[in-house]
Amino acid sequence: MAILLNVVLFLPLFGALAAALLPRGEAAQHKSWALLVSLVTFFLSLGLWFNFDGARSGPEFQFETHVPWISALGIGYHVGLDGVALLLVMLTTALTPIVVLAAWKDVQERVKEFFIAILFLETAMIGTFAALDLVLFYVFYEAILVPMYLLIGIWGSENRIYATVKFFVYTFAASVLMLVAILYVYFHDGGTFDYVAARQSLSVTRDAAVWLFAAFALAFAVKVPMFPLHTWLPDAHTEAPTAGSVILAGVLLKMGTFGFLRYALPLFPEAALQFRGLVAALAVVGIIYGALMSMVQTDMKRLVAYSSVSHLGFVMLGMMAITAEGVTGSVYQMLNHGVSTGGLFLLVGLLKERRHTRLIADYGGIAKQVPWIATIFVIVTLSSIGLPGTNGFVGEFLILSGTWLSRLKSPAWYAALGAVGVILGAVYMLTLVQRVFFGKLDNPENRKIPDLSLREAFVMVPILVLIVVMGLLPQPFLETARPSVDRLLGRMQAAELRLRQAEPGLRPLVGTEPPAVAMARPPAEPAPGPAPEPAPSPHGSN
Amino acid sequence: MSTLDLQALLPVILLGAGALTLMLSEVYLTSGRRAYQSGLAFLVAVAAGLAAAVAPERTLPGGQAVSDGFSSFVICVVCAGLALSVLLGRGWLERRGIERGEYYALALFGTSGMALLGMATDLLLAFIAIEVMSLAVYALAAYPRRGQRPSEAAFKYFIIGSFASALFLYGSALVYGATGTTLFSGIGRGGGALLATGLALVLAGLAFKVAAVPFHAWTPDVYEGAPTPVTAFMAAGVKAAAFALLARGFLAMVAGTSVGTGAQLGGVLGLLAVLSMVVGNLFALPQRNVKRMLAYSSIAHAGYLLVGVLAAGSQPSRQSGISAVLFYLAAYAVTVIGAFAVVTALERVTPSPDVEAANPWDLSRFAGLAKSRPGLAFAMAIFMFSLAGVPPTAGFVAKFAVFQAAVSARAYGLAVVGVLTSVLGAYYYLRVVVAMYMGPARDGEEAEHAPVPMAVAIALAALAVVALGVGPESIATLARAAATRL
Repeated sequence: MAILLNVVLFLPLFGALAAALLPRGEAAQHKSWALLVSLVTFFLSLGLWFNFDGARSGPEFQFETHVPWISALGIGYHVGLDGVALLLVMLTTALTPIVVLAAWKDVQERVKEFFIAILFLETAMIGTFAALDLVLFYVFYEAILVPMYLLIGIWGSENRIYATVKFFVYTFAASVLMLVAILYVYFHDGGTFDYVAARQSLSVTRDAAVWLFAAFALAFAVKVPMFPLHTWLPDAHTEAPTAGSVILAGVLLKMGTFGFLRYALPLFPEAALQFRGLVAALAVVGIIYGALMSMVQTDMKRLVAYSSVSHLGFVMLGMMAITAEGVTGSVYQMLNHGVSTGGLFLLVGLLKERRHTRLIADYGGIAKQVPWIATIFVIVTLSSIGLPGTNGFVGEFLILSGTWLSRLKSPAWYAALGAVGVILGAVYMLTLVQRVFFGKLDNPENRKIPDLSLREAFVMVPILVLIVVMGLLPQPFLETARPSVDRLLGRMQAAELRLRQAEPGLRPLVGTEPPAVAMARPPAEPAPGPAPEPAPSPHGSN
Repeated sequence: MSTLDLQALLPVILLGAGALTLMLSEVYLTSGRRAYQSGLAFLVAVAAGLAAAVAPERTLPGGQAVSDGFSSFVICVVCAGLALSVLLGRGWLERRGIERGEYYALALFGTSGMALLGMATDLLLAFIAIEVMSLAVYALAAYPRRGQRPSEAAFKYFIIGSFASALFLYGSALVYGATGTTLFSGIGRGGGALLATGLALVLAGLAFKVAAVPFHAWTPDVYEGAPTPVTAFMAAGVKAAAFALLARGFLAMVAGTSVGTGAQLGGVLGLLAVLSMVVGNLFALPQRNVKRMLAYSSIAHAGYLLVGVLAAGSQPSRQSGISAVLFYLAAYAVTVIGAFAVVTALERVTPSPDVEAANPWDLSRFAGLAKSRPGLAFAMAIFMFSLAGVPPTAGFVAKFAVFQAAVSARAYGLAVVGVLTSVLGAYYYLRVVVAMYMGPARDGEEAEHAPVPMAVAIALAALAVVALGVGPESIATLARAAATRL
């Protein structure tokens, strides 16, 4: 089955090359072709989903291909998926056809280049999650910048050039130091860039590990983005075309959190344990700050963009808890954010296509005019603020309970502040819904807005299905992530043991506080168990 | 001199013979049809490259030159550069109606000097090779004769180049005084202040040629003023040949002299590398003139190459350093020729050479290019991303190899400075892409179609850049093999 992953990985790229041969004027052909390629990719990736062995005893990486690529430099082509990577690949392949369909009418100029860029981007995104060679990972990670840079810069709105250059330079600058760190790793793990081998045999001094962790963490923290390195995000999200915003929010930000989970933590566990408090604190600051910034935005897209800062803060907080619940919730929240924030950007895109404005003040009371869009918007909003029954609840609950029970210093504070973020989230999202959809319809311009078209319904339905399915049946997704999460925790525990050997008096770091262990063992069940923090707020219910 | 010796020298001989043939052909030309001249020059370039690829490994009598994997690789790179520049020059000259056999003859003479430079293991022979190369390029820079810019560029280049040659020659004389030989292999025999001064002067002369800071001041003016195809040839060929000599010389110095002197030389070279990377990138940042920006960027790239040379100087990373330099030279040559080729294609032809267009290379010339000339814009975007070192292009693999060598030599500081300055680079290279793809289209004049040979050169270069970025295995292996046989 290893071939299947390679097919899924490169099919979009070959699709893009084929699209380059189609004549420029044939816009309809380019759209249909991109849709076809991305749909076929999605259906093939379902093969990965159903063939994945999610048992705990199963191999860590599946669908592996390992061949030399540039042997003169020691670089190999090594790809494979663990549970987390599989989930993110599925998210990518599912979002791409949606994005293609959403861009159908939105993109009028240079249609050919647009869809080539999207397909190229899909290969690079899948490659980032599938790569098991450090340099291959870096290549895919950087290759994403080029099409994304073009997407924002060519098809974005007024301030696009500033936004896209900022996006590119920010991300590029942060990741080059990771390249030096990768090279350093190469010379300290027996001369290989292979991730699996490097994780086994890497031996660096404590000080060096701190620097290496810092280099990796910097690259990923910009991508996530974590406060205070988030400033590129509001600009990029706001100026990007709808398709670009959806991909940025849905997939690209996950590359940062995935990078922490896959590289920064397992490669340098001691350093990660040393700095987890700092990272978790920044995550909490990000949660609150992003939420507060969202509350004062007048631009819908910017509001959703800042809400991403807040949501990604949850992902990082859960990860830094280093408990089974926290990390599982963190992985789940990555998917949730992709679905719900992706959905919000799609909806804002729909409105913007109709009214050519993103300002909240230009809307008001349009629920009567566009009942379908309003209904869907409310559902996606509820998912975004974590109402029970939607996917957002599962993730936020796991993260907050995992954080509360963790062995961070004074974990209750982290969890409590995180919960405040949940409440603030409900405030700004519901205010947005109220100001846009309810109240008096007093702007005559808004009386002419058409409701959802059939094509747009096809765009939104998968999002709604995912919201409900992931909210009510989280088990298959959590089970898929479980072995990877367990392995990560095992690695962190081993690191803790090593630390304790050097420093016997060390307080426990990994896992949950003892009384909680029995209670919270099956992390998938959100219902039972005393939740010490306020459950995601009741504000959401109406 | 045996047959094998001749075979080893065959690339140089071919290039020289080709140049003479072209000179004579111009004398006897009556029809005025000159299309065959560029064809002949192209064929000679290809033949010389092939001859270098199959050249036997040999030390030529007297030990003044060797033919080994390293020289073969360098000759192949300069010949590829020549071939592309010939295609480029053909289109440029034809448009202006100033095509003459001498142009190609000079390019071939210059390349023969470069080829010899790749083989030289003796200061005196190196000096002769440098002069053969430089005199041809001085003349090429002034080739259009009329118009202020080329003459100014050629004059500056000539004066400063002669100064550099004089430094090199004086340094060689001091080295001879200290050691009694000009052979690289004999440098270890002497010592003391005389040798150190001599080596420093030789290094300074070479630093002029490779345009390393603080010996770079001539570069922007000369690169900007020279006819663009010649600039491309200089950036690719002269740089490759000069770096070949620098690498060979530096390795011989490190191997020959005491550890202390070697470390001092390394320190000097490291300083030059850092200065070149920082100054080159910083000065390129505000340039709106694309040609001048590429000139400053070539200074920055000299810095990255110096990092590779420096890494080659320490024992554990010797091979990875040399092969990184070789790969970098190949990648930079195709990328920079491609970039200058696009600049050439966009140049307006003025009615008379005495009238010079205002701001012919301004960034605004590139505005909206993606609409009017999508192919050209796409190729330029590839070259810019490669120069910036973004995967999957040749430039990324090249930078990667150089920094890998640097980390292997434990020169972490150099690697960090290198990656950080390359971020600056990303900014100004991207500005060209922004203008092409995101800027408003220029109204009125349409860019002319590039002449066929020029378009071929651009397409070849773009293909090479992508191929070296996606599948660099073959060239990287060749570079590695060449490094082991130095």
